[in-house]
Amino acid sequence: MKVEQIVEATLFASQTPLTADEIARADEVLVAESVVAAIQTLRDEYEGSERAFQIYQLGDGYQVLTRPEYAPYLERFDSVPRAPHLSPAALETLAIIAYRNPIGRIEIEEVRGVSASSVLRTLLDWELVAVVGRGEGLGRPLLYGVTQMFLEHFGLKDLSDLPAPDELPVVLGELQEAMEAEAAVADAEEAGEEVI
Amino acid sequence: MSPSAQVGEGTHRSIEPFQVSLERFEGPLDLLLHLIRSQDIDIFDIPIARITEQFVRTLEDELEAMPIERAGEFLEMAATLVRIKAQLLLPRPEQPDWEEDPRAELVRRLLEYEHFQDVVHVLEGAEAQRGRHFGKGYVAGRPAPALAPVELELTLADFLSVVARIPEPAPPVEIRPPSQTVTVEEKVSLLRRLLGKAKRVSFDRLFRPWGTRAHAVAALLAALELARQQALRIEQVKPFASIWLLSGDRLRPPAGVDSDETAEGPE
Repeated sequence: MKVEQIVEATLFASQTPLTADEIARADEVLVAESVVAAIQTLRDEYEGSERAFQIYQLGDGYQVLTRPEYAPYLERFDSVPRAPHLSPAALETLAIIAYRNPIGRIEIEEVRGVSASSVLRTLLDWELVAVVGRGEGLGRPLLYGVTQMFLEHFGLKDLSDLPAPDELPVVLGELQEAMEAEAAVADAEEAGEEVI
Repeated sequence: MSPSAQVGEGTHRSIEPFQVSLERFEGPLDLLLHLIRSQDIDIFDIPIARITEQFVRTLEDELEAMPIERAGEFLEMAATLVRIKAQLLLPRPEQPDWEEDPRAELVRRLLEYEHFQDVVHVLEGAEAQRGRHFGKGYVAGRPAPALAPVELELTLADFLSVVARIPEPAPPVEIRPPSQTVTVEEKVSLLRRLLGKAKRVSFDRLFRPWGTRAHAVAALLAALELARQQALRIEQVKPFASIWLLSGDRLRPPAGVDSDETAEGPE
C-alpha cells in the first residue's frame, strides 16, 4: 500500500480539513513530512489528470474540495448549504483583528468608531476569533486573534495569504507622509484659515 | 430642503445627492468617508464646515429612531467635527511648535478606516472564492423522487363547507347546583332498559343528555355495579376511546337485587 493512497483515502473520507499530523495517525510508518510529500504528489496527479477536485490547504489543514469552476453545477442542488456570508460589521472587525493581531476591544472600537462588543461575541461564538492573551493596560484587557476557523472560512493557508498592509490601495504609512507634506505646504502658505 | 451652493468647484448640485440612509453605514467614520469620497473631496483638505453640515443633516431625520448607543456614536463624531471647525476658526498663534492641523487626527482615523475597508474587500473576495469550493457531503446523495403534480381543485364553497362542519365552540359551562338529583338506581334501570333493547350502549348516552357531573358519576357507579353483577361488560379499545357497555349474561337478575345493592345516592 502506497503512502499516497493512505493519505488520499483519509482525505477523501474526511468532511473537515485534516492536518498532516492528523493524517499521519492513519499508519505507523507515516510522519507529517511524508504526508506533506504525498499530498504534493496527489496534487500534481489531480492537476495532471484534470480532476474536478483538488487538495486545498486551509490553515494547518488539508481538505479535498471541488474546483471553483464546478460551483455553478453544484449550486443547482438546493441541499448545498452555503457558508454564511459575514455581515459588514463582522468583516470589518475581522479585518482589523487579522491585521492587528493580537488586539483588544478598545483598539478595535477606535478604528471602527463604533462599539464592537456584540460583534466580537458573535465572532467568538463562531470561533472565527479567539482570546489569545491579555494586554498590559488597565484591567489587563483581553486580546483577540483570528483562528484556524477564520483561515478555513476565507480559504487561506495563513495570514500571509492576505495582502501585506503596504500592498493595499490605501497605504497608511505613505499617506501619513503625504499628509505631513501637505500640512507642511499648508503651513508654508499660511492657508490654514481659509480651508473652511 | 433648499438647494445649496456650497458644493464648490463649478458644480451646482444640490445637497440632496448626499442624503443617504444611515442604515447603510457601519458608523460615523463610514458615513464621513462616504461624504468625502462621493464628492471627490481631498481628504487632506476637508472643508469641515460643509462636511459637518452634511453630516448633521443626515443625522437629523434618523437620530430619534436609532438605538441610543448607535446614536451616541454618530453624535460624538458630530461633536468632534464641530470642535475641529471651532479650532480652525481660532486665530493661530505664531509659535512654530503650534500643534498640527486640528483635522489631522480625524484624517488619520479616516485613512485608517479606509485602509481596513480595503481589507474588508479582500476578505469579501476570499469569502466568495472559498464559497465556490465544495467539500464532501455537501450535496444530497440523491434527489427526492419527484411527486406527480396534483391540481388543487378546491372552490371557496368546498372550503366553506368544511368550515361549516367545525362545531361551534361550546358555550361556557355554567356552574350551578344540579337542578335535579339523580340516583344510581335510576341509572341502573336506565341501563337495564337500554340493554334490553340494544346489545350495546355507549357510556356517553347514560349521562350526556343531562350534561352534569352528577349524572356521569351516577352512570359510572351504575355501570360498575351492573358489571359486578355480570349483567354487562365494559369495553374500551384504547385509552380515551369511547366506552361501550355490552349486555352481559345475567341482564335480568332475580328481583330485589336492584334495591338491595344500589341504594347509594349520587355524589
